[in-house]
Amino acid sequence: MIDLKCEVLTPNSLAEALQYLANNNEYTKILAGGTDVIVGKTQGSKRFIDSNVLVDINRISEIRGIEENDCSISIGAATTLGEICNNKIVGEKLPLLKKAASMVGSQQIRNRATIAGNFVNNAPCADTVPALLVYDTSIEIKSHNSERIISLQEFLKGPYQTQLQKEELVTRIIISQKEQNYFGEFYKLGRRRAVAISRLTLAVLIALKEKQILDIKIASGAVTPIGTRFPKLEEFAKGKIMTDVLCKNIAKKMGEEVLGVTGLRWSSAYKLPVVQQMFYQLLKGIER
Amino acid sequence: MNKDFSVVGKSLVREDGLEKITGRAMFADDYKFDGMLHSAMLRIPATHAAINSIDFSAVINNPSVKAIITSQDVPASKKIGIIKNDQPVFCDEKVVTPGDVLAMILGEDENELRELVKSIKVDYTALPTLTNPAKALEETALLIHPEFGTNLICHHPLHKGDVEKGFADSDEILEQVYTTQTIEHAYIEPEAVIALPIDNGGVKIIGSIQNPFSARRIVCNVLNLPPEKVHVVQAQLGGSFGGKDDNMCMLSSRATVAALKAKCPVKIRYTREESILESYKRHPYILKYKVGFSKSGKIKAMKIDLLADGGAYCSMSPFVTWRSVVQATGPYAIENVHTDVRAVYTNNPYTGAMRGFGSPQPIFAQESIMDEIAVRVGITPDEIRRRNGLKLGSVTSTGQTLRDHDVNLIPVLDKACAFTNFASKWNEYKNKQEELNGYIFDQPIFKDEQFIQPEKLIKKGIGLAVSFRGCSLGAEGLDQSSCFVSIQPDGKIVMLSGLAENGQGLRMTLIMSAAEVLGVSSEKITFLESDTSKMDDSGPTVASRGTLMGAAAAKNACDLLLEKLENVVRVEFKVDDSDFISFRENLVLSRKKGAITKFDDVVKLASQKGIDLSVIGRYKSPDVSWDEHSGQGDAYFTYVYGCQVAEVSVNTGTGEVYLNKITAVHDPGTVINRLGAIGQVYGGVTQGSGYGILEEVTSEDGMIRELNFDQYLIPTAKDIDEIKPLFLEGEEKYGAWGAKSLGEPTLELGAAAIANAVCNALGKRFYNLPLNLEEVLLGRKLRPQDLKRGSL
Repeated sequence: MIDLKCEVLTPNSLAEALQYLANNNEYTKILAGGTDVIVGKTQGSKRFIDSNVLVDINRISEIRGIEENDCSISIGAATTLGEICNNKIVGEKLPLLKKAASMVGSQQIRNRATIAGNFVNNAPCADTVPALLVYDTSIEIKSHNSERIISLQEFLKGPYQTQLQKEELVTRIIISQKEQNYFGEFYKLGRRRAVAISRLTLAVLIALKEKQILDIKIASGAVTPIGTRFPKLEEFAKGKIMTDVLCKNIAKKMGEEVLGVTGLRWSSAYKLPVVQQMFYQLLKGIER
Repeated sequence: MNKDFSVVGKSLVREDGLEKITGRAMFADDYKFDGMLHSAMLRIPATHAAINSIDFSAVINNPSVKAIITSQDVPASKKIGIIKNDQPVFCDEKVVTPGDVLAMILGEDENELRELVKSIKVDYTALPTLTNPAKALEETALLIHPEFGTNLICHHPLHKGDVEKGFADSDEILEQVYTTQTIEHAYIEPEAVIALPIDNGGVKIIGSIQNPFSARRIVCNVLNLPPEKVHVVQAQLGGSFGGKDDNMCMLSSRATVAALKAKCPVKIRYTREESILESYKRHPYILKYKVGFSKSGKIKAMKIDLLADGGAYCSMSPFVTWRSVVQATGPYAIENVHTDVRAVYTNNPYTGAMRGFGSPQPIFAQESIMDEIAVRVGITPDEIRRRNGLKLGSVTSTGQTLRDHDVNLIPVLDKACAFTNFASKWNEYKNKQEELNGYIFDQPIFKDEQFIQPEKLIKKGIGLAVSFRGCSLGAEGLDQSSCFVSIQPDGKIVMLSGLAENGQGLRMTLIMSAAEVLGVSSEKITFLESDTSKMDDSGPTVASRGTLMGAAAAKNACDLLLEKLENVVRVEFKVDDSDFISFRENLVLSRKKGAITKFDDVVKLASQKGIDLSVIGRYKSPDVSWDEHSGQGDAYFTYVYGCQVAEVSVNTGTGEVYLNKITAVHDPGTVINRLGAIGQVYGGVTQGSGYGILEEVTSEDGMIRELNFDQYLIPTAKDIDEIKPLFLEGEEKYGAWGAKSLGEPTLELGAAAIANAVCNALGKRFYNLPLNLEEVLLGRKLRPQDLKRGSL
């Protein structure tokens, strides 16, 4: 039996949860699906081991569910990945997010794990992050006395670090409806086909007119210290005609950027060729 | 088979199925007793160290700690081992591998104990380590167990014919070196055991124990108690795969020492991390093969040198490597063979029995080299095996002439090839092989030509592997078994076997065997709890011998009962000797009279007449022989044959190997429970696939990296598309109706077949298991420089 050695608080409303967070200290952690927190505590992770109060946000209906209006799609922070996979709006409007969510862990994990939980720890391998980044996702953050909306890119500070303050809670994920017609693809490479921590994730969203790239959004995970967009790469590609040579050049430039960020690591001998090869494959898939 | 069976060969749901899927089955950790204490183990983070002193002052007066158990509490044998007593119950002088336990503490709160044990201060001096088995026999190598004067655990030589002459007669000679990795059994249930003191000064043990009689023998030595004072009850076992033997003898020893000292029940249960840290693994091998062959692909000579890393303790190394020496050439008739198999001590985690038991390693090497030779002489992989494969009357490398059983190697090969259309696919994929643009790391950014056109990204391949496998223990030791069957006055039947249910479905196989002989439905038969004080030792439940030895004893027991019942029928129903009596479908029939009476009524009559309807049936294997110096002899009394074909898709951009289909053709003799047999194939193929492409226990100076299933990856249901089991039921005179072995053959072929399929896809051969992403893409393994993890 796992002894969590913590007090678990179970607020029934957002206001109550924010009050708990305001009253508590740095040893307070938020518990949603628990697929990171419980495992982290059991493994003795320094990010979780000292926490002695867990605020369980599973009973708060305000931060669950998926809504759509004219200008945006809003997903409650505690919506499970399973719910996201099965949601019609996500399926139609955010296919990359659906695909990314469907490749996290197993069905059992997706039934527990939440969308905000996938990125609030800012693990480099968080599968939904590249998909959310190419959708220009914003997140709503609340505390007992404040409220702010920032972009996900800005929220993700460094490995296992975010902008979240100790009294704050991520409440919603907001994705603006695009005026242009984008399409794209998400790719994940793991060591096996399920319950696999990603070795590489890629997401690309593109708006084409004939073969000209009007706009392109590119993100990756697990090959850089945190999931990230590639603005220089996007600028390079924008306005150009989609050709085989361009696909190769973009892929090579991604290799250069990854190498620039990470330097040579033990895994570079594998990851550098694979990121170039598979990004090229992804672009070729879109080109056709 | 033309036998007219009523139960044998059917697919029946296991007797323990319902209780397992509904959660009612009692596993070792489910047992709780009044006053039972828990335990925590004291270890140090060292691979090799001399222990100077242990300071227990932090826990000695702590009221939560009820007792401290050390080597001083062990009454008799301080070191144990199934073959050689080299593993201390508690290490008081030194540790030789990181799993070693120095002491244990007892108390009521397990979580508290796990914290408290960290406060015990151990003063130790780290010693140099030996983790490379290839250096273990060098003169300057440090000695893991200096008292033996060598790191050599065992050496099995084999000489047949004259290899040098064979090489001289060959048109071509091929030499290769292969390596296989350490793997973990990955049973779902970590180790658990409870020891209870009993009134006569003895002890009762309930545990997740694969071989209760082995545990009893070792505990008797540790406690200096006679067997009647130690009785071992096997709880339901949550998987074993050969992995709950030595370690459970060890935990049983510690628990009983503790229970007798504390005078109360003591439970030891491991977390997954402790389980992987301390339990034994599959031996990694270094395999050197030199093969001489003619232009037509006929093998003239084979010289084999195998080195197994035994890790810190002997465990089963001598037997594991003995199976390797018998089977190292593969199922081929070769005139000249010279084999040396050695196992050595290192500071690595110790290695021992695991499903396959010294066969998957040489099969990977020998089936790889056979494929390579086929390509060199320009024939298909199936054809080279037909030309060299063992047939009736062939002589094996141990000088054994194969007779008295169906030598079904070529038939299983032919069946597998016909079913998969092997040769034509193999040729088709071979023709599509292309020169791969090698990636040079000095130039990390791609050149244009290194990008792969999308339609060429995925390459298909097909590969096969064949094996012969000696059934049961062979010349390892005495091979016999017993089975108790008792018909109750109401016609219900209870039975008990000296062999153990390890989750493989043995009980159902024995029940079906009994039901077949007695002509009753299997629902009438119940299996009793396995307990060493109620049944004879039938040897360990290993070596795929459960069905062969167990069902044979069950059948013999029921034949004895049938004779008694038949006598009653002849007298009571006046059936003369010229008439033939049979028992079927709970009825008794005579050829002349038809249905005479019911089974239950005959039993009732027999009971009223005071006829004893409880018997013990026995089965002893035929004799085998072995000469240790020449490696010659009739190693096993019979063999089984198998062929697996792997069809794969390889992603040339990432090195991913996807298993589209594995076709498994096996000759297990007569199949008793078809459902159980198919289950063995599904499980064995999956486990073999993990060995082929995913699994590896790696270590850094003896410290294991993969201590849980987040890092130690085994295949999921999504990693194999289709598994097709096909049985070719050969004729066999031994066992029950010729039922032989299946469990291990299903596992041993997968890695070799997959490696051959990947080679067929890429035109590039791999010599080092597993064929993981990096191996396939780069031709080498990549490892982090240390044990740190970013997520912690």
